[in-house]
Amino acid sequence: MAENARRDEIPPGTLYMLILKMLARHGQLHGYEIANAIQEVSDDVLQVEEGSLYPALQRMLLKGWVTAEWGVTAGNRRARYYRLMPAGRKQLMAEVAQYQRVNGAIHKILQTE
Amino acid sequence: MQWIGELWRQVRYRLSGARFDDDLAEEMRLHVDLRAADKQAKGLAPDAARAAARRQFGNATQMQEKSHAAWGWTRLESWRQDARYGLRTLGANPGFTATAVLSLALGIGANTAIFSILNAVLLRSLPVEDPQRLVQVRPGAEGDDEFTNPIWEAVRDRQQAFSGALAYAPDRFDMADGGESRYAVGLWVSGDFFRVLGVPAMEGRVFTRDEDRRGTAPLAVVSYAFWKRSFDGDADVIGKTVRLNRQSFEIVGVTPPWFRGLDRDWGFDVAIPIACDPILHPGHSRLDERADWWLRILGRMPAGESIEQARDRMRAIAPEIFRVTVPQEFPAQQQKDYLLSSFFLKRAATGFSEMGAQYRTALYTLMAIVGVVLLIACANIANLLLARAAARQREFSVRMAIGAGRARVVRQLMTESLLLSILGTVAGLLLAAWGSRLLIHFLSTSHHPLDIDLSLDPRVLAFTIAAAILTAFLFGLAPALRATRVELNQVMKENARTALRVSGRPSLGKALVTGQVALSLVLLVAAGLFLGTLRNLWAVDPGFTRHNILMVTVDVEQAGVPVARRAGTYGEILDRLRALPGVAAAASSMLTPISPEGWAQTVKPEGVAAKSPRDTLMFFNRISPGYFATLRTPLLLGRDFNDRDGLNAPKAMIVNESAARQFFGAANPIGKTIGMDEGDVYQIVGVVKDTKYNRINEEDRRIGYLAAGQDAEPGPHIRYTLRSDVPVETLIPAARGAIAGVNRGVSLEFRNFESQVSESLLLPRTVALLSSVFGSLALLLAMVGLYGITSYAVTRRKGEIAIRMALGAPRGSVVRLMLRDVAVLLALGMAAGLAASLATGRLVTSLLFGVRPGAPLQLAGAALILAAATAVAAYVPARRAARLDPMAALREE
Repeated sequence: MAENARRDEIPPGTLYMLILKMLARHGQLHGYEIANAIQEVSDDVLQVEEGSLYPALQRMLLKGWVTAEWGVTAGNRRARYYRLMPAGRKQLMAEVAQYQRVNGAIHKILQTE
Repeated sequence: MQWIGELWRQVRYRLSGARFDDDLAEEMRLHVDLRAADKQAKGLAPDAARAAARRQFGNATQMQEKSHAAWGWTRLESWRQDARYGLRTLGANPGFTATAVLSLALGIGANTAIFSILNAVLLRSLPVEDPQRLVQVRPGAEGDDEFTNPIWEAVRDRQQAFSGALAYAPDRFDMADGGESRYAVGLWVSGDFFRVLGVPAMEGRVFTRDEDRRGTAPLAVVSYAFWKRSFDGDADVIGKTVRLNRQSFEIVGVTPPWFRGLDRDWGFDVAIPIACDPILHPGHSRLDERADWWLRILGRMPAGESIEQARDRMRAIAPEIFRVTVPQEFPAQQQKDYLLSSFFLKRAATGFSEMGAQYRTALYTLMAIVGVVLLIACANIANLLLARAAARQREFSVRMAIGAGRARVVRQLMTESLLLSILGTVAGLLLAAWGSRLLIHFLSTSHHPLDIDLSLDPRVLAFTIAAAILTAFLFGLAPALRATRVELNQVMKENARTALRVSGRPSLGKALVTGQVALSLVLLVAAGLFLGTLRNLWAVDPGFTRHNILMVTVDVEQAGVPVARRAGTYGEILDRLRALPGVAAAASSMLTPISPEGWAQTVKPEGVAAKSPRDTLMFFNRISPGYFATLRTPLLLGRDFNDRDGLNAPKAMIVNESAARQFFGAANPIGKTIGMDEGDVYQIVGVVKDTKYNRINEEDRRIGYLAAGQDAEPGPHIRYTLRSDVPVETLIPAARGAIAGVNRGVSLEFRNFESQVSESLLLPRTVALLSSVFGSLALLLAMVGLYGITSYAVTRRKGEIAIRMALGAPRGSVVRLMLRDVAVLLALGMAAGLAASLATGRLVTSLLFGVRPGAPLQLAGAALILAAATAVAAYVPARRAARLDPMAALREE
């Protein structure tokens, strides 16, 4: 479990935002690629319990934030590729704005010494 | 609105044929495989790489379940499970299911049937463009709603209140060229009629303002139904002609199937321009008649304008309009009144329905009656469910003991109730489609066949669905809650039979039965009132005989008989009819009794000072000699008319008793005079018994009869009354031949007077019939309810009864014991029912004749019937209790 020790759990409630952000950046990804992208971009600091991506993706499909299509990976295997929908883009902006507001506030509190 | 999108995506996903679980599993498998490959590439052994990948992924099964829940599949599946389980339970109790579904089908079917008629004639908007903006212009808030053509033309040319205005008049046109008439339902319409309503032509064109010009060619627009019926839907119909009152009208267009005119009671066959009036009425066209009120005027309010604004605009031009259209022939005072007339506006979105206006109270009463029947049916099913719930107590206890929440079990029971009500509703809808048509058929007369559009619309559908859901909750919720309120431990400890005793539930069942008894009594009382009304109507002495009388209407207008020769033609026809074999007596008259037509005016009786015009209003008819003898109306004083009452003789009048008594009191009326408006003075030569004029249930009116021989300008119609010794229908061919012998071209219509009179009693007859049917149904349901609760009590107290009998209680006392409880319920229910009957009786007064709501005898009769019926229902199971074998019962216990 050594490799888990230097990783942090992602803050609760931010999983959607991270997935949306990754899709916004890369356009079209399958589940594994999303998990990898989050880890890579965060320099391996953030750890996603990888399986939890999937219920989240299903909820996002239902809400209409993302859409999915079956495609083929480089290794020639069937994979479901997710893409951002306009509603998802709006949701991302809203979540980022809210996150920054909260974060900014917390940051300020920590600064006051 | 978020949930709609989600629901849509759910449905689309379901329909896409995707296999949710397989897809998800494949996706997850790929993930773990790729992760493992990645780890292997970084140097881990294959097995270790795989394990690490799995660890990093987390609990795959849990993820799969969570994904499932994300889509709401879990909920959906548990519902499906409930429904499947519910269907199985219902199937396992076919007797119960059939009873419940049947009573629901009857209840919901009756409600839907009555509501769909109510909707069609009173509630539904016309299927025209934006019907909410249509208003009718009326001469008063109540009463007659027609205008003269000069007023219409003035309104059309001057009004600025509306974005469009139209005028129309319903009429019927004879399509036969002489002989027996075949009528088309017709409309006189203004040029803008179809444009203002927003009705396009399906074939050809509709009328335009051009058709408002005087002297316009005889053109016709026909309805889709008429086109299909008379022309087989032939596209070449445009340019063909249709014969109306012996004139050819060229068909220029066909309207779409959804347009049936503005009258809800029947559709229309053919519409012709108002400006064609001179073609059908040569020499006496109504176009410039300032005292002939025959056109309805409607307007379309511009968007954004309120009805008050439109009314104010119309009222602003009213003085001008009435000034230019004042009837010069009116006396000065009447002209003054005319000039002060104004306009009233009324919303016209629902169109016009004579039936709706006439039967409004009746329809709402029937609606209330069927609503009560449905309530009683609900109470019955609730009772059955309670009994079943008691039997299923163990099942519920077990389910709850192994972890099902109370809400979960209630949901299961409600699913079953909902299934029952869905089944009942589907059957009810079929029943309603049939029942409402049957009812309309009942209310239709040969003279005025009703043709009401009863197609299912969203409002009826919403009503039925609401009824279904509401009933499911009404009969399902209380038993479900009651059944699940159990002390788990106790039930599980004891055996099934004693568990029943613990639940202590019968009070709800008793309350339901009490309510049923009360409601049934209300319906029985209502049925009694309506049956009494019908009996009284039949018993009315109308002052004439209605048996063996054939009425023949002869119309010479199209046959071209000039006014001067009409009296001769009419007389000659009468002579020939009198000579027919089988005709015992014959006479002619201008009007027939018990028809909607009438002729009323104020008179100046000798020595009577009238305080108001009402005091000297008199109804009239013009008759040939022998009219009273033909209809067997007794002549009380003086003489009948005879051939000497001609144009040059002194003007003679026969009055009825009411007129004689009210004008002249005890004095001998013979020889007194009555002045008419025109200045003519009539001398009374005879007095006849009172007869009914328009309706059987009217108060006796003052009626005067004038001699046919003293009519200088006979009208184009005349009615012959033939009394025969043979069935009246067999007279028709001979009568037709006799009339053709005088003039081949006249139009004829035959009616059996007896059916004319009985058709005038259609409404009371239908209300009496339906209220009796539903009253009996309610009674039956109440009997089933009482039977059920008594049987249940017998089963429950078997042990107690057995002990009593073992200790020597006689059978009679056992029966009494069982009936004592029922008697209390019955008494309570009757008291409530009587109170409700007294409270609601007044609402139906307008439908009654000769009976008074709340009459003690009537209430007592209904209560007695109910008491007898329910006593029988309760006695049967009570008697079974008395036949119990105490030994067997105790051993079982």
